[in-house]
Amino acid sequence: MATATAPGVGAGQLALLIPVGSDTYALPLETVREVVVEPRVTELPTSPTVVRGVFNVRGDIVPLLDTALLLGLRAVLEEPYAVLVETAHGIAGLVATEMPQTVRLSESVGQSDMEGTTETYLVGDARLAVALDVEALLSPARISR
Amino acid sequence: MSPSDSIPEGDFQRLFATEAEGRLDTLVDELLELEKGGANPDLVASLFREAHTIKGGAAVVGMAHVARVAHALEDLLEEVRRDRRGVDAALIDAVLAGVDAIRTLIPLAVAGQDHEQAAFDAEQRLRIAVGGPAVADKTAPPPAAPVRAAAPASPGPAGRAGLAHEQAAPAPEPPAAPPVLEAPLPPPPRIPAASPAVAAASPDAPGARAVGPEGSRGPEPASAEPLAAADHPAGDHATDQAAAVHVEPVRASATEMVQMPVHRIDDLVRLIGEASAATLRLGSALLERLKRDPSTVTEYRDLVRSLNELQELALHARMIPVMSLAPRLRRAVRDLARETEKEVRFETRGEDAEIDRGVLERLADPLLHLVRNAVDHGVETPNERRLRGKPIEGLIRLHAMQLGSEVVIAVSDDGRGIDVDRVRAAAGRTDSSAMEMDDEAALYLIFRSGLSTATKITGVSGRGVGLDAVRASLNAVRGRIEVRSDPGVGTEFRIAVPITMATLRCLVINAGGQAYAIPLHSVRAVLPPQPSATVGGRAMTMVDGRPVPISSLARVLGTGNGSEGPAVIVAGLTRSHAFRVDDLVDQRDVVVKGLGELVPRLPAVAGAGVQPDGSILLVLEAAGLIERARRMDSGDRSVEAADGGAQEAPAPRQAPSILVVDDALTVRELQRSIFENAGYRVKVATDGEEALTKISEERPDLVLTDVQMPRMDGFQLTEAIRGQPSLASLPVIILTSRGSDEDRRRGLECGADGYIVKSGFDQSALLHAVERLLGAER
Repeated sequence: MATATAPGVGAGQLALLIPVGSDTYALPLETVREVVVEPRVTELPTSPTVVRGVFNVRGDIVPLLDTALLLGLRAVLEEPYAVLVETAHGIAGLVATEMPQTVRLSESVGQSDMEGTTETYLVGDARLAVALDVEALLSPARISR
Repeated sequence: MSPSDSIPEGDFQRLFATEAEGRLDTLVDELLELEKGGANPDLVASLFREAHTIKGGAAVVGMAHVARVAHALEDLLEEVRRDRRGVDAALIDAVLAGVDAIRTLIPLAVAGQDHEQAAFDAEQRLRIAVGGPAVADKTAPPPAAPVRAAAPASPGPAGRAGLAHEQAAPAPEPPAAPPVLEAPLPPPPRIPAASPAVAAASPDAPGARAVGPEGSRGPEPASAEPLAAADHPAGDHATDQAAAVHVEPVRASATEMVQMPVHRIDDLVRLIGEASAATLRLGSALLERLKRDPSTVTEYRDLVRSLNELQELALHARMIPVMSLAPRLRRAVRDLARETEKEVRFETRGEDAEIDRGVLERLADPLLHLVRNAVDHGVETPNERRLRGKPIEGLIRLHAMQLGSEVVIAVSDDGRGIDVDRVRAAAGRTDSSAMEMDDEAALYLIFRSGLSTATKITGVSGRGVGLDAVRASLNAVRGRIEVRSDPGVGTEFRIAVPITMATLRCLVINAGGQAYAIPLHSVRAVLPPQPSATVGGRAMTMVDGRPVPISSLARVLGTGNGSEGPAVIVAGLTRSHAFRVDDLVDQRDVVVKGLGELVPRLPAVAGAGVQPDGSILLVLEAAGLIERARRMDSGDRSVEAADGGAQEAPAPRQAPSILVVDDALTVRELQRSIFENAGYRVKVATDGEEALTKISEERPDLVLTDVQMPRMDGFQLTEAIRGQPSLASLPVIILTSRGSDEDRRRGLECGADGYIVKSGFDQSALLHAVERLLGAER
C-alpha cells in the first residue's frame, strides 16, 4: 500500500517519469497502479479547477487531477494520459502530457524547493525530474483549496 | 424435535444464530427498559421468555454451551419473576454479561470451535448474581428443560410469544436462508393468500404476523394458536427487525406483516425499472410512428404515473425504522455511563422515521460513535452537573425525522459542549489558518481527517474520537454531518442521509452539452419551454399557478450558456426551482457511487454512476443545486441594488454580465458566443457612446472594448467610465489589434484593467483574464 512506503523515491529505485508540459516528475513505481491512455473524462462542475473531472477505471469512479495546477503551476490543456496513483485517501489520476516511462534513478542532484516535491534527479543527459510526494500532494485539503 | 436428516446441522445453527440475535436485542432493550422503569411484571415475564426460547433453540441445534448460559440466564430471571430477587444494577450487569457471552458463543459454535471456558465463566457469573451458590459442575444443560407453559398473560408487544421451545424447532428450510425483511403493508389492499408466505395472515388473528419464507411452513391453515404459529425460527431473525417490532408496538399490532427475502424486493424494484424503460420506448414509438406527443396521451401518462408510484412503494418495502438501532445505542449509553460513573438518560424520538435497510446498517457505527462521545465527553460527572445547577442526570437524545428524501438523525446531549478555543488551539499547532477561523469553522475542525491532527484535537477537546471516521462512513452513504455546540448547554450532531441508497431512479437530461441525472424523487414536473418574467430581479416562471424561480442548469453549474429547452421543476427540502435544460434524454436507474475522499464534497453533485457504455453519469443533488441557483440569483440582485437604476427584464440573470463594445459585427458576435458559452450574460454596443448609455441603463460586471470605433473610441470610453465615481471599480479590458507599446501605455494610463492584443488573442487567455478580474467562483 502506498501508506506503507516511503513518501519519495531514492537513488537506485525504479520510478515512473511523468512528463507534464515542459517538466518531468518522478513517482516511486510502487505507488503507481497503472497508466490509462486517453481517459474518457467527465467534467465535474462546481469542483475545484484542479479536478479535471472523473473517469471510469473498471467500474471505479476516479478523479483526474491537473498535475501542474496541484504544484501551483499553470494548468495543462490536454489530458492524453492518466497515471493512477494510490493514496491514503483513495485512488486518483494524475495528468501526464506524454507517455510516462520507467527509469532507475541515479543519485539526487539536490532538494526541490517546490511544495509537494522532494528531490531532483538527473535523468538521461540533460533532463531533470522532480520527485513527487504523493501523500502531501494528493490530500483532500490541498485539492479543495 | 431434531433437525431433519436432509438438512445439514450447520444451516440450522446459522438459522438459530439469526433468530437469537433478534431475541438478544429484544432482551437487552427490555432489560434497559426495566432498569429505567423499575420492576414491571410484564417486562420481566417477557425477558424470561426470551431467555427460555434461546435456551430451547440452542439445545435443539446442538449448541450445548449456549444453552447452558441461556439456562443460567433463565434461572436468574426466574428468580426476579418470582419476586425472590430485586432489580438492581448488579442484576442488569449480570444479564448483559450473559447476553454478551451468548453473542460470543454462537458464532464460535457455528464455526465448530471450543468455547467451554467462556460458557463456564458466564454461567458462573449469572449463578453468582442469583445470590445462590456458584454451580461447580453442571456440564450439559437439560435439553428438555421443563417447559414453562404457564405463560404470562401479556403476549408481549409484538404478539411475540415464544411459549415453548418446541415451537422454536426449525422446520425444513431452504439452506442458508437469505436475509429477511419485514415490511409493513398498508392495510386496505389485503394481500391474497397466493403464496405460503402470506397464508398465515389469518384475519382472525389480529396482531399476529404472517410469517415464514417460502416453503417453510407450507400452506397449512393458520394455527388455532396464532401466537404460537407466529413464533417460528425463521421469524424473528434479522436483528433490526426484532427490535423494530419492539419499538413500534402500536404500529405492529395494527398492521399486517409479511416477511420476505430482501432479494425478492430487489427483483421487484429491478423489474419495475425495466417496465419504466419499456414505457419510455413506447413513448418514443408513439411520437415517431403515430406522431403523437406521449405527454398528451392520457393513457400513457397514467401508465407512467402508476409505474412511478409502484417504484416508490417497492423502494419503501426495503425500509425499516431508524429506531431499530435504538436498543444497541441505548445499551452503549448505559454501559459507558456506568463505566464512567455518570448518570445518563437516553431518549428517542421519531419512531416513524424509516430508512433503507442498507443505509441504516452503515449508520450503526457512526451513531454508536456519537452516543459514546456524548456520554464520555459531553455529559459531565454528577458532581460537576450539581455545581452547575443542572439536573444530576444527563440527557442524551436520539431524534430521527424524515425531511423530503433524507432522514435527519440528531444525537444531542445537555452536557458541557465543545470548547472551540481549545479545538482551535490544538489544530493551530499544525495549521496556522485554524487560528483565524471563526467559531463555526473551527468547530468543524473536529471532523478533520488525518490521524495525527485528530489525535491531537482529541487530546485536549476530548471530542475528536473517530469523528473523521464518522464522516468518512457517512460519505459512503452520501450522508453529511453537522454539529452545533453551546458551551455549558450541550452539543448536537445532525446526520442527514438519503433514505435509499440502492439504485436511484433518475431523469437524465442534457445541459451545456453534457448529460446529467436528476433523482426522480426530487423532480416535481417537466414542462415545455417556459416563458419567464422577472420579479424582484429574479426570473420566475409559473408552475401550477404559482411563481417558481427559473435558471439555466448549465449556467448554475458553470458549464455553459442558457438554453431554451424544457424546464425541469426540482423540489428540494423546502423549496422548488425550475431549471432550463437543453433536452430530456430518458429515465434510468442509476447505481449512485460517491466521488471518493479526494474530491471535496460538492453540494450540487450527489454522486455518479457508471453507465453500461463505460461513461460516467453525474447525479445532481436537488437541495444543493437550488441553493447554488439562489446564491447566484441573490448575488446578481446585490449588483443591481448598488446600481439603483430601473431595469427591464432580460431572461436569466444569474451569471455575471459583460458588455462587449466593438464596431465590427463579426468580432462582437464572436465574443458574444465565447462568453455565453462560458456561462456569462452578454450585452453589446457598437461604440463608446452607446456603451455609456447601456452602462447607465444596467451596470455590467465587466466591459470589454475595442479601441478603434466611431464617435467615441475605447480609450475615451475607459476614461469616461473612470470619470464616474460610481463606476470607478467597474473592470475594463481593452482588446485591440494595435500592439504598439505606446497604445498599451495609453490604455493602462486611462485606467484599463487589462490590455489584450488581438493578434496574440486566444479564447482561453481572454476567458482567463475576465475570470480573474471578476474574481469568479471557480
